[in-house]
Formats: sequence, structure tokens, C-alpha cells
Amino acid sequence: MIPFGHALAFAGALFVLGLSCVLIRRQILMILIGVEIMLNAASLVFVAASAFWRQPDGQAFVILLMAITAAEVAVALAMVVYLWRRKRTLVADEFDGMCG
Amino acid sequence: MNESLLFLIPLLPLFCAVLNMLFGMRLPRLFAETMAVTGVAGSFVLTLLFWGMAEGDGTRAVLFTWLSSGTLDVSFALNFDRLAAPMTLMVTGVATLIHLYAVGYMHEDEDYARFFSLLNLFVFAMLTIVLADNLLVLFLGWEGVGLCSYGLIGFWYRKRENARAGTKAFLVTRVGDVFLGIALLWLFAVTGTLSISTINAQASSISPVVVMVLGILLLLGACGKSAQLPLMTWLADAMAGPTPVSALIHAATMVTAGVYLLCRFFPLVSLSAVAMTAITAVGAMTALYAATCAMAQREIKRVLAYSTMSQVGYMFMAVGAGTVAGAMFHLLTHAFFKAVLFMAAGCVIHLAGDENDIFKMGGLARRGPVELFWVFLAGAVCLAGLPLTGGFFSKDGILLALFTYPDPVYRAFWLIGVATALLTAFYTFRLVYLVFAGEPRGTGHPHAVPLLMRWPLWPLALLGLVGGILNLPVFVGGTERLHHWYAGLAGRTVKASHEVEWMLVSLAVVIVAAGWFAAHWRYRNYRPPLEGAVSRFLLSGWQADNLVDRLFVRPFTAMARFCYVGCDRTLFDGSIDGLARMLSGWGRMLVQLTTGRLTTYLSAFAWGFLILLGWFLIKLVNGGGH
Amino acid sequence: MNTILFYILGFILLAATLMCITRRNPVHAVVYLVAGFFALALMFYLLGAPLVAAWEVIVYAGAIMVLFLFIIMMLGLAPQEVPPGPGWQRWLPLALLSASLMACTLLLVVQDPAAGQGISDYSLAPQALGEVLFSRYALAVEIVSFQLLFATIGAYLLGRPQPKGEEPR
Repeated sequence: MIPFGHALAFAGALFVLGLSCVLIRRQILMILIGVEIMLNAASLVFVAASAFWRQPDGQAFVILLMAITAAEVAVALAMVVYLWRRKRTLVADEFDGMCG
Repeated sequence: MNESLLFLIPLLPLFCAVLNMLFGMRLPRLFAETMAVTGVAGSFVLTLLFWGMAEGDGTRAVLFTWLSSGTLDVSFALNFDRLAAPMTLMVTGVATLIHLYAVGYMHEDEDYARFFSLLNLFVFAMLTIVLADNLLVLFLGWEGVGLCSYGLIGFWYRKRENARAGTKAFLVTRVGDVFLGIALLWLFAVTGTLSISTINAQASSISPVVVMVLGILLLLGACGKSAQLPLMTWLADAMAGPTPVSALIHAATMVTAGVYLLCRFFPLVSLSAVAMTAITAVGAMTALYAATCAMAQREIKRVLAYSTMSQVGYMFMAVGAGTVAGAMFHLLTHAFFKAVLFMAAGCVIHLAGDENDIFKMGGLARRGPVELFWVFLAGAVCLAGLPLTGGFFSKDGILLALFTYPDPVYRAFWLIGVATALLTAFYTFRLVYLVFAGEPRGTGHPHAVPLLMRWPLWPLALLGLVGGILNLPVFVGGTERLHHWYAGLAGRTVKASHEVEWMLVSLAVVIVAAGWFAAHWRYRNYRPPLEGAVSRFLLSGWQADNLVDRLFVRPFTAMARFCYVGCDRTLFDGSIDGLARMLSGWGRMLVQLTTGRLTTYLSAFAWGFLILLGWFLIKLVNGGGH
Repeated sequence: MNTILFYILGFILLAATLMCITRRNPVHAVVYLVAGFFALALMFYLLGAPLVAAWEVIVYAGAIMVLFLFIIMMLGLAPQEVPPGPGWQRWLPLALLSASLMACTLLLVVQDPAAGQGISDYSLAPQALGEVLFSRYALAVEIVSFQLLFATIGAYLLGRPQPKGEEPR
């Protein structure tokens, strides 16, 4: 019997790790990886809840989430390529054209 | 004759003034000048025509109701009575001659339209003062002469000192106007009306203390316009204006407006012995002060200015001694001979090549047109009080009134009057000798004196010399015409035994002779001016300007600086600027958030998430009670 | 047994993720993450979601992370030197605050009696999940498939080499 709270705690910790990856890392790619980690943490919550309440809806949502994530990653990485072609660097701070 | 035609007397100069103001520069010069002269001359002719209306109790005419609100009913009313008529005649007559003189004097000046419109406007305002039957209308004229005086003194405003002289005149007389304003309001509060004749009729029903205070307020108001102590500092500097202005304003009309005001309110003022003594005291002190200053002056017009101050002091003394007839007599003769002296001084300055300093003139009797010397001498002997001139009789009348006054304090004033007469004779002949006698000392290039500048002098000189017949005292065989003319308005009848009168006359003769002798002994052959401390003290008018500066101007400037720098700038501007700076500082701090960088916005997300989490945690703890 | 496995897998997941986020070399980071995702997939299986576990491996670890690797290789991203700037010390206050906050949250969650209830054995067969997905969530599936189409088109537009100017998103 896995206590539900423990599963949630794991998910929470994973989410915090993903968040810190987003905040600390400079490169856009690493930021995107952090986002992936956070999404996975959300998936874990959904699956645990689905098991806890013995309903399939959580798993269905996880599947949809994965699909959306795939779409998002595709576009995001295309943009990464575009940015690389503009400035030959992927450091996020370099792209401050919206300053002011 | 319709009495409302009386209004043409002041309105004719006003009309010409407005025309000159609006169209003067577009009209040909001769036309504008003729219009100006005609305006004043027309008033003179009208005054003569309407002379009959002034006899008896006079004529009152109302043009329109100016203000009417509650109990206040101010109408534009004229009172052409026995007091106003001779004054009007003098003002318009002298003004006409001076306008003619001015045409010649200003013939090289470009701003003729402004000059003549201001001059006509001035005559209108002065006539308003003389003819007004309503205190508010009088005040209108009072302010009007102040304004025109400012404009005319500072006529050549492009030179900074002239503009400053005009401002000084305006501000100092304004102080007097404040007192007159207070008296005006107080009179309305006490009597419920502003009509002068009604106020005079009700004068005896006002409480004595109030009458005394009102008398002193009116005195202070008169001091401003008449350049008496303590509001006299402007008159000497007012000589910066053109000579016709000095002749008109500072000899005949504006400086006598104060005397006229006191004569108009004589039924009110004479009820308070304290006020009368105050008037006499002010007049006496001013007469002596001005005479001492005149002795040391170097510029010809400044000598005449101080002399005017001194003679107006005599007129105040006459009012204080109770004789309106005596005061008006001296006013009229003084107008004649002082105007002559000023206009002749203008000719002298022209002759000496625009030189003002009498120590640099000399020998002008031979250089200039010969009649100039005689005309000037005529005015001078009237001023000094040579027996049988008009000035002699008027001055003697005043001294007699002072001598015979019931109150013994007036003997002291009489003594001051006598001493002043001695000084007057001295400085007058000093002036004559330094300007006309001896060898020419100046280096200026003489300008020719136009005919228009010489002709108007003769009638005035003659009037000054023979003006004594206006009010010849009985003991020399005269009929005291002026005194009888004024009848009820004339104040106290001066009664003195013939011995006293002859004694005073002989005293006067001795004084004039002594003054002339002293001046002859000292100045017949030229001696350079004294440079001592006393001389400098008198030259600067007993350091009056300095005193006013220290007493009033500097504290006021200090207070103004405190208000401006201390309060306005540091407090208000500082607080508002400080607020603006603080807000813009906050803005600058906030701007640092808009870096355009992804990391900044992500950290914003994180902070928001943290706050939300914290809030939910608190809610959880509070709600769940864990 | 399952419980212990779950905890072990959980810690493996967290350790792998921690390694991932602290690597300099992006390729190393991705590989560590893939390992973490494997652990996560097994956790899904233990929580009674075999289909989701399979898809986690196939889609996430197999497609998305491989895509990341593609990009890294294509752009030739070198291992990063420490870029100039404040570095991780800047995050210290925020980190401490959030760590303590997280600790509180976790403690609360763990102590909550509702949270203490255990997840009983539950296993969802793929058929059952498919039935739910295509009956109750049919609309969502259709919309997500549209989204995939849009993403494809968008990725192509963004990535095409020739026009060097601005490209709309």
C-alpha cells in the first residue's frame, strides 16, 4: 500500500527539481528540459490519483498530456534551431530584444 | 443752460485723449497736437461759459448711476460749486498753456501720441477729482492722476532710471491711496453714503473720535499725492519726466490735489482739533525739510521740486490754520509762478545744451533770449515773496492765519513758516544767480528755444505777479475777493488788528531782503559748491531714500525672499519635486524588471508561484488546524 | 514488495533528475533524464497504468528525448563553460525559501490522514483505457490530433532554411 501522500510527495519533489532546472540553467535547451520534467511530475500526480480513486480518467489525461507535450517540444525545438541560426548562441539572456 | 452740459468739462479732454490713444500715430502730427490742445482749451472756455452756475450754492449734475446695490448708491455726479470753479479754471487754463509749451518742447520726440493722450487723460482725471461730488468718483480721479503721473514721469522709459522714477512715484502715492481708501470705506460705514455734500452735511453727527481718525486718514491720503512727509520721497526723482510734465503735474495740479481734498472735506476735518494740528504740523515740517534740501540741490529741476514740496507745505499749514481761502489763494498763485519757473527751467536746460546742473550753467542772461531771464525772475520773486507780488500776499495771508490762531502751539508753526520763508528767499536767489549771472561755465552746445516754448510763459508770469489782487487783504485797501467768493466754504475768518498785520508785513520784507542779501553775497560771484557732510546730507534729502529702504524695502525683500526661496521653492516645489523624484525613482526601479530576458520572467513566475503556495499553506494551516 | 520497489524507483527518479539538471554537457543531461524516465515508467506500471508506462517509454523517452538529442547533435552544442554572471548564488535566498516551503508542504501532505490512505491494487487494462479514451474523451483526442498537425506545420515553418527574415509563429 503506497500512501497517496507519498506519491504526491515524489511528484512534488520532481516538480521542484524541474522548476529549479528552469530557473537556474542559462541555456534555452536546458530550460526546455526542465519544462519536460515538470510535465512528467504532473503526469505522475494524475496517474497516482487515477489509481487512488480507481478511475481511468487520470490515465486518459496523461495520454493526452503526452501528445500535447510532443507537439510543444516539436515547435519549441524548431524555434531553438531558428534562434541558433540568428545568434549562434543559446544563452537565454542574449535574447533581450524586448527590453525596455 | 442745461446742467448736464457740465460734464463736457472733464469729458472733452478724455475724448481727445482716447482719440489720440487710438489714432494718434496715424494722424498727422500737427492734427494730433491740435486736438490735444483743443481738448483742454475747450474745457477752459466751457468753464468760463458756465461760470455763472457756480455762484450761490453751486450746481450739481448727475450723469448716470454707476453702482446701486443695497444701501450703496454711487452715481457719477459733479458738483460745480464755489470751491470747484476757480480750481477748474486754474487747472484748465494752466493746462492749456502747458500743452502749448509741450508742443514746442516735444517737437523732436517720436512718441507724441502717447504723450499727449496721457497729458489729456491726466487733465480729465484731475478735473474728475475737482468736480466730483461722490467719494468713489473722486477716488477714480485720484487713481487716474496717479496712473497718468506714472506714465508721464516714466515717459522716456527706455532709460532704466526714468522707469524706476515713475514706479517709485506710483508706489509711494499708492501708500497714501490706501489710507484714502480706508477713509472712504469708513465714511460709508458711518454715514451710509458716499456723496461728499451729504457727508459734509452730516459731519457733526459723527462721533468725535471717529472724526479725528478720519481726519488723520484723509491727511495721510493727501500726503501721498502732495508729497508731504512721510510720503515725499518720490517728488525729487519725478523730475526725470519731461519738463511740461513737471510743470503741470508737480507744480499746479497733482500735488495740489491733496490740499484740494482737505479743502473739500473741510467741514468734516475742521471738527477735530487734533486733526487740524496734525495737518499744520505735517505742513510745517515738510516746508522746513524741503527748504533745507533745496538749498543744497545741484540740478535745477530738483531745486524747484523741493520748492514745490515746501510751498505745498504752506498750503497744508493754511488748511490746518482753518483758512480754506488762504490755502486756495496760495494754491492759485503757486500754480502760476511755479509753472512759469518749471517751463522757464525747461528753456534754460535747452539753452545750456541739455545740462541740468546749475553749477555748470551761468551767464545765461546774456546768452539766451532776453525775455527768458525776466520771466524766470518774475517767477522767482513771486516764490521768494517779494512785496507786492502775488506770492507775497498769499504767503503773508498764511502766516497771518497761523499767527492769529487761538491755539498757542501755532506760534511755533508760525516761526517755522517764517524760517522757511527766509530759506526760500535764499535758495531762490541762489538759483537765479547761479543760472543767469556771471560767466558761462558750461560746455554744452546750446539749442535754440522754439517760440512755442516762450510765448506761454508770459501770461503765467503776469498772473503770478499781479495775482495778489485775487485776495488783497483789507489793510492795504483790498476787498478780499477770494474770501468773499468762498463765503461759507472759506473756513475761519482771520481777524487781526492792523498793527499786527503791518508788523508781519514788515517782518516778511526783512526776511526777503535778508535772504536775497545772503544769496547775493555768496553766489553773485561764482563759488564752487560745498562738499561737506552737511551738504551731502541735504543733497540727498536728509537720507530719506536710505531710511525708507532700511525701514520698509529691506525687511519686505527679506520676507519676500523667505516666502519665495524658503516656502515656495523649498517647501512646495521641493515637496512636489521630491514626490515626482520619488515616483520616478520607483519607476526606474520597476524598469529594471523589464529586461526582455527570459530568465527574469521565469524568476517572476517562480516568485508568484512561491507566494501562491505560501498563501495556500497558510489557508490550509488556518482552516485545517494542523 | 511493490511498496518497496516504488520507493526505490522514486529515489532513482529523483537522483537521475538531480544529475540531469546539474550536468554541463547537454547530452549527459538528456541521457540521465532518459534513465529517470525509465524509472518513472516503472512507477506508472506499479500504480496500475501499464499502457501509460509503455507510452512513457515510447513517446517521452523514445521520441521527445531523442528529438532533443537530434537538435543537440545538429547544432553541435559544445559542453557549456560556466557563463559569466551571478551564477547559482543568486538563487540562494529563493532556494532556501522555497526549500523550506516545500518541506512544510511535504510534511503536511504526508501527515494528512487523507493522504495516508493507501493506493490499493489497481490495474487498468489497455482495452478499458481505450474505451474511456475514445468514448468519453473522443473530442479531446480529435483536438489533440489537430494540435499535432499544427505543430508539424509550425515546426516546418520555423525550421526551413531559406527565408532569413521574420517568420510568423
